[in-house]
Amino acid sequence: MGLIGNLTNKLGEQVVRLTMSKFRMNVKPALVIGVSLGAFLCSLSVGGTVRAADLPAGFKSGELSAAPPADMIEAGKRVYFTKCVWCHGVDGAGDGPGADRLWPRPRNFNQGTFKIRHTASGELPLFNYNERSADSGKNDLFDTVTHGLPGSAMPAWEGILSEEQRSQVLSFVTTQLVKDRKFTDKQSETQTILDMGALKPVEANEESLKKGAALIVDKKCIECHGVEGRGDGNAFNLKDDWGFSIQPANWHKCWNFRGSRQDPYNVRNIFRTFSTGVNGTPMPSFADNTTVEERWDIANFVNSLCERDVEGKALSIDGQTDKPKINFVVPSAPIEGEISNDPENEMWKKQGRRYIAMGGQITHKPRNFVNRIDDIWVKSLYNEKNVVYLIQWDDRTKSVAEGKLPWAPTQVNVENFGVKEQAPKTGEEGSIASAQNNYAVYNDGIAFQFPIKWQEIPAPFKPRYLFGDAKFNADILKWEADGSLRSFKGTGWDQDFEERDDFEEKVKLLKAEWKNGQWTVMISRPLKGDKDDYDDYTRFDVGKYIPMVFFAWDGHNGDAGRKMAVSAFYYTILQPPIPQEVYIYPAVIAVGVVFLEGWMLTRRANKKKGKVL
Amino acid sequence: MKALMSVGALIGVVGLLMLIGMIFGVVPSNYVRLVEGYMPMQVLSELAIFVAGFAGLSYLLNSMGIAFPRFWQGILFWAFIQTYLKFRIYPPIPFSVRAMYGTVSFVAVFMWVSANEEDWKKFKQPILNVLDANTGFHKALRTMYLILLPLLIGGFSFLTMKPSVDEPIELRTVHPAPPASTKVHGKTYTLQTSQNPYRVNPEGKYDQAYSNKLIVEQSMGRLMAPNANPWDDKAEGYLKYVREGGEIFFQNCHFCHGDNLNGRGLHAFAFNPIPANFTDPGTIAQLQETFIFWRVAKGGIGLPTEGFPWASVMPPWEQHLTTDEIWKVILFEYWHTGYYPRTWD
Repeated sequence: MGLIGNLTNKLGEQVVRLTMSKFRMNVKPALVIGVSLGAFLCSLSVGGTVRAADLPAGFKSGELSAAPPADMIEAGKRVYFTKCVWCHGVDGAGDGPGADRLWPRPRNFNQGTFKIRHTASGELPLFNYNERSADSGKNDLFDTVTHGLPGSAMPAWEGILSEEQRSQVLSFVTTQLVKDRKFTDKQSETQTILDMGALKPVEANEESLKKGAALIVDKKCIECHGVEGRGDGNAFNLKDDWGFSIQPANWHKCWNFRGSRQDPYNVRNIFRTFSTGVNGTPMPSFADNTTVEERWDIANFVNSLCERDVEGKALSIDGQTDKPKINFVVPSAPIEGEISNDPENEMWKKQGRRYIAMGGQITHKPRNFVNRIDDIWVKSLYNEKNVVYLIQWDDRTKSVAEGKLPWAPTQVNVENFGVKEQAPKTGEEGSIASAQNNYAVYNDGIAFQFPIKWQEIPAPFKPRYLFGDAKFNADILKWEADGSLRSFKGTGWDQDFEERDDFEEKVKLLKAEWKNGQWTVMISRPLKGDKDDYDDYTRFDVGKYIPMVFFAWDGHNGDAGRKMAVSAFYYTILQPPIPQEVYIYPAVIAVGVVFLEGWMLTRRANKKKGKVL
Repeated sequence: MKALMSVGALIGVVGLLMLIGMIFGVVPSNYVRLVEGYMPMQVLSELAIFVAGFAGLSYLLNSMGIAFPRFWQGILFWAFIQTYLKFRIYPPIPFSVRAMYGTVSFVAVFMWVSANEEDWKKFKQPILNVLDANTGFHKALRTMYLILLPLLIGGFSFLTMKPSVDEPIELRTVHPAPPASTKVHGKTYTLQTSQNPYRVNPEGKYDQAYSNKLIVEQSMGRLMAPNANPWDDKAEGYLKYVREGGEIFFQNCHFCHGDNLNGRGLHAFAFNPIPANFTDPGTIAQLQETFIFWRVAKGGIGLPTEGFPWASVMPPWEQHLTTDEIWKVILFEYWHTGYYPRTWD
C-alpha cells in the first residue's frame, strides 16, 4: 500500500484522492506497481460518483457527519494533552515520547488512516460526535477509544474517560490532528458503510467451517497468516503505510485482535475486519471479491481457530487485562510406566493444559520492551522416575543462530557482547517498529527454573524470579533451538550460570519441533538427583507446591541472555493419587451426624413429654 | 411514610433484579461500573441502598397484609450478602475471605433476629415446628432433613479432604515500613527530611501548596487544570518538570503501570499480582514522596521480606535512571493522578 500512498501524495492530493478513495485497497508489495497503475487508470475512467449498484455486497451508502462544535474541540484538547499526547505526540504524528519503544507504534493521525472501521477500504472511519454509546456500529473511533486496541499499548478508556470526554477528544483529533483529509469534506470523502445491522451471521456449523477452511486457501489468506493461521506466512516482508514492519495476526489469539472490541470470540468482529480491511496495512478488504456468505464462512473458520478449553468452550477472559484468565498452578498427573513423547498420545490429550502469560523482561538491562512471545501453554505428567513438561508456544519464525554465538551458554551478561536495549529516544528511523526485523538472529529458546531448596523456604517466600539469588539458588533447565538442553545453577540475576554436566545426562529432550508457527518442546527431568537429598538438584515431592518460573526467547526478536520474555511465579504440583482416608473419614462423619440427630430428637421428645433427663 | 417506603421498596426490587440479571448475564455485569479506586465506598453504599430497599419492601408487604416471616427474612438477607460478595465484586475475593464476611454477617443477622424476646420467638418457631413435626408437612420436612444433613455434611467433608490443586492464597503487605535513609547513586537521602527538588514555585523554592494548584483535577477523567498544560511552549518550572517526568514515564514505566497509571500496562497481564494502580487512593496518595523515591530507586528487589520482594518485578530504577529523572517521574505521577503526596507530619 505504501507505494500507492506515496504516489497519491506526489500527484497533488485532492483530485486523485477523490477518485482513488474507493479503490484504495491494500495489496502485496510484489503486485503494488501493477495494481496501483491499474487502479489509477481504472479510477480515472470511473470517476467519483458512487452508485448503489457499485457498492460491495453488504454495504450501504452513508452520509458524512456534521463537524463537531468548537467547544467540543476545545474541551477535547484538554483531554488530549492530559492523556494521549504522551504516545501520539503534540501534532498527532504518532511520535510522542513513548512511541519509539513501542511496537506496534502509536497511530499517526495526520493522514486520517484508521485500522478498525465499518467503512469501505481507504475511507475514513465513522465518527459522529453526537453518537455516544459504544458498539452502536455508527461510531468506529468512539469504539476504538472505548475498548482500546488489544495487543497494542492502547488501553480501553471506558471507565476512565466519560462518554462525553471520549467524544470531545475525538472531536479534537479528527478536526485538528487529521491533517491530510477532512471528515466533513463532501468533495473528497465518501462513506460506504458495512451494514452490520442487516447482516445475519451464518451458523458456524461443520459445513460453514469446511467452506471457510477452503476459502482461506482460495483467497490466499494463508500466504500471510500461515497454513494454521499463526501469522507465520510472510512475517518479515510486511510494512505499513509509514514503512514500519508489522506482522499478520495470529488467529489463535483472538484476544490480541486489534478489532476484538473486548469481545474476542464474537465472529462479527472478524467479519467486519475481513469486509473492510485494515487501512494502512497490507490487509485488504475482501468486500469486492467475496460474497457475504463466503465472508461469514471465513469469519466462522478464523473464529474456530482461536484457543479454547478442552470442551471446546471459549476461554474466559479476565476483565482486568482482556487476556485469558490465569491459573497459577501447573498440575502434573501421575502415569504408570513410560511417558509418551507424542503430544497426541491419549495420556497427554487427557491432561489439561495451562496458559502461562509472558511479559517482556523489563527489570534489568537489556530490557525487552516488546516481546514477541506473550504466552505459552504447558502440560505436565510424571511417573516414578521423571517429570515431563510439554511446552507449546507460537513463534512466527524458527530461529537458529548462524555460526557460534560469541558468548558461552553460561554467560548471562550479554550486554557486554552488544545485545543492547532500545534507547528511549531514537526518532522514527531507529525505533523498535522500524528496526524490528533487522536484529541479529539468535536461538529460539525456552527455560524454566525451580528453587533448589524449596523445602526450606516457607510458603509464600520465594527466591528472586530471575535466576534465583545467593541464598536460594535456582535449578534451571534451558533448551535452545540449536538442539541443546542444558542444566544450570542460577545464583542471581547478574551472575553467570554454573554448568552442571553430570545432570545433563539425565535430562532428556523428548521432542522439539517447529511447525507452522508453533514450537512443541517436551522436556523430561528426574524427580531428584542421584542422592535422596536436595542439596544440588530440586527434589520433587508429591503433593507439594513448588515455585516455578518460565522464560522464552525469540531469536528473530534479538532475544538473548536477559533480553527475553518471562512469566510470573507459577506453582507446579505433582498430583498425588487419592488416599483412602478421603473416603473413610467423610463416611464416619456422616454416621456421627446421624447419631447427633437421634440424640437431639430424643431429647426434644422427652422435653415435650415433660421428662427431664 | 408509605410513599417513602414504596420508593424504598422499588429501589430494593430494581436492585435485586439487576443483581440477578448480572449473575445470569442478562444485564451486562459492568452495567453499573465499580469505579476504579472507589470500590470499597461504592460497595458499602450499594449495600446500604439495598438494606434501605429491603426495609421498604418489608414494610410495604406488611401493610398489604402479606408479611414475610422473620425467619425467612433473616436467612434470605444472609444469602443475599453472600451472593452480592460472590458475584458483584471484581476482581473476585477468595472463598476464605468470603467465609469470614459470611461469619460476620451471620452473627449480625443473628443479633438482628434475637434483638428482643418476641422477635426471637418468631424466628425460632419454624425451626421448632419442624423439630416437633407438628403437621404432616413438617414431618415430611423433618424426615428430609434427617436424610439430607448427613449426606450433605459427609459430601462436603469429602470435597474438602480431596487433594486439590487450587492456587494457594498469598496475602502481602502493600506498604512495608521504609528504611530511615536510602543511598542512591552515591548520595544518602534521609527519608524524613528529603524533598523533591522539582516541586518548586516560580521562585525556585520547595512549595507543595503551589504545585497542588497545578495538578490534574479530581473529577471523572482526571484532566489537567485549565491553563496548566505541561505541553504549553511557555510552561516553565514545575509544569515543565512534569512534562519531562511524563516523557520518562512513557519511555519506562507505562509498560507495567499503564497509560493511565492504573496498573494495566502492556505487560501487566503476565504479573501476579498485577502492578500498582496509582489512581487507587490506597497507593501513592497514602505515601510520602520520599517513600516513593525509595521504592522507585530500589525496586522490588529492595523490599524488606514482609513486602514479598519476589512478588514484585519492579526494577531497581537506579540501574536505569538518574536521581533527577526519578524525582521527575514521581512529580509526574502525582500530577497525573491528581493526588497530593503525604507529608511526614
